[in-house]
Amino acid sequence: MNLIVDIYAGASNGLREVWSNKVRTLLSMSGIILGVAALVAMVGIVQGMLGNMRASFERSGGVLRLEVYPREAPESQQHIAGISPGMTWRDIVAIEKAIPLADYVTPIVDMGWESFIANGRRERAMLHGVTPDLVGIKNRKLDYGRFIADSDVNAKSPVIVVGSYIADDLFRNIGNVVGQQLRVRRQVYTIIGQFEPTATGGFGRSRRGWNYEDRMNYIPATTAMSRYKGDDGVNRIEILASSVEAMPDLMSQINNTLTQTHRGIQDFEIRTQDEQMQELKKLENSFTYSLGGIAGISLIVGGIGIMNVMLASVSERIREIGVRKAIGARGHDIFIQFLAEAVVISILGGILGLIASVGLLTLAQDLIPKGENISNMPVTAMFYGFLFSSLIGLASGIYPAMRASRLDPIDALRYE
Amino acid sequence: MSDSCTVFELQDIRRTYQVGSELVHAIDGLDLQIQDREFIAVIGTSGSGKSTLMHTLGFMDSPTSGQMSFEGEDVSNIGRGTRARLRSTRIGFVFQSYNLLPKLSVLDNVLLPLIYGRQNSTNKRELGYSVLKRVGMEHRASHRPSQLSGGERQRVAIARSLVNKPRLILADEPTGNLDTKNRARIMDLFGSLLDEGITLALVTHDDVVAQYAQRRIRMQDGKIVDDDR
Repeated sequence: MNLIVDIYAGASNGLREVWSNKVRTLLSMSGIILGVAALVAMVGIVQGMLGNMRASFERSGGVLRLEVYPREAPESQQHIAGISPGMTWRDIVAIEKAIPLADYVTPIVDMGWESFIANGRRERAMLHGVTPDLVGIKNRKLDYGRFIADSDVNAKSPVIVVGSYIADDLFRNIGNVVGQQLRVRRQVYTIIGQFEPTATGGFGRSRRGWNYEDRMNYIPATTAMSRYKGDDGVNRIEILASSVEAMPDLMSQINNTLTQTHRGIQDFEIRTQDEQMQELKKLENSFTYSLGGIAGISLIVGGIGIMNVMLASVSERIREIGVRKAIGARGHDIFIQFLAEAVVISILGGILGLIASVGLLTLAQDLIPKGENISNMPVTAMFYGFLFSSLIGLASGIYPAMRASRLDPIDALRYE
Repeated sequence: MSDSCTVFELQDIRRTYQVGSELVHAIDGLDLQIQDREFIAVIGTSGSGKSTLMHTLGFMDSPTSGQMSFEGEDVSNIGRGTRARLRSTRIGFVFQSYNLLPKLSVLDNVLLPLIYGRQNSTNKRELGYSVLKRVGMEHRASHRPSQLSGGERQRVAIARSLVNKPRLILADEPTGNLDTKNRARIMDLFGSLLDEGITLALVTHDDVVAQYAQRRIRMQDGKIVDDDR
């Protein structure tokens, strides 16, 4: 009961001290303010970025997606590796025919970065040869036109579906670019579809290619093979499973089918998204810990600032301490008074830091791309930032408060 | 030995300090009895030990040796906590430089001892106003000390020393910073406190001030050399 009264008296005393030394208090708070603001703002920005990465991961099929990559045949098969035709169009046909558990299958004929030319302008972007199933895997929507159809694949048509980057930059933001023509390596393509942009965010550049998916452009796989590659090889195969439960069966079926088409040579590997999930988690953790460390250091620096000011305050008020002791204050009354003052300073600093972080994040919202359903106000980080700043105030107040409480009243009263 | 009329009883009190390699005898074998409602002036040159005596009587300091009792209780060897409690409940202090806290209002300054005395009086503010009225300062309750004159500040300081209804008020050169008119006012105020059952001890250089007291103790080299009743 007495302790509550003591703390209340100490805190109101602290507030009064803080109020009558506004500038000094603000300066001493600055470390805490910056520490809390930096912690919360950085966590907010990183969460936004990681959320965006996760959203893009989900967009590209999430955990249901399988990829088949070519690889070197194992040691035991090296001498007969030549009999395998490698990954080809035949693999796609075989999977489509034999494996109903695969909802969508597309080859990726990876042309990499290419120069796209139209209207005398030139932009670099990525080009993939694919089949109609790609939109099922990527789960992308078109703003205008249509995606590649089976007939385009069969006819090896010179048609292209462009992302927002090419649509906007090559054609100067005219909006609908369907029906326009462009050239890639001397081949002329007619634009039949235009994806909606994935990224939203800031400074009037909302349609620019923040996200690499906006720089992706697609032609029929057969067109890519006949016009550029000259054979029916594919760089990888992307498959979307019908359900998570079907994944193990699907994987063994793919393995069987491809072992047949590759004449028994194991020169391919099936990758799931588990690894990518793990990578994402690892990235999240490393960001969280490194940011936490940096913010922790700045909060400790802030605490040292408070300790410094509290020590100055103690030596400035030695006489006051003497008076208080002479009229009956015990050591622990003085201790609580100075400790409460330090805590009041750090709590106020924490609150100001939170306000600053909200401001920073509101500013940053215009700068960083956002995925869907991401809260940009990291409530947990705010809570911890506030908690730690209060604890640091408490810790940094202990030593000055102890010095104050141990002053001898006679010496303190004599002090000029 | 000590009856109810004795406030303080000091026997062969010594207080020594170690200053460098030298031992300083600030009080060197002092015997003193202070009776209820006495008004004592302690006079002496600086270094005579009168300040140390005041600190000892005010429980700010403990004697190195000797017997000391307060209101019949032995207080020769009491701890810091007990001394703080006695300071906050039984003793009032008045200083030469007033020692009001500049950031608190006059009323809050007066109420300060009650916080540390832990009295459970519900009407603290009323009590504060009544002691301010007692010293004629109630109209200044919400002012800051810096807005008051020296004499007014000292009256507030006296109100502060009265608020916990002390047995003994100790004053260290209470008129040292005041002009003659204010000096007379403050000394009259002190004189009137005796009727309220308060015992007074003050340290002074000023013979005029000492004349207000009923008993004058002269100190020299840590001993009482003259006790004039």
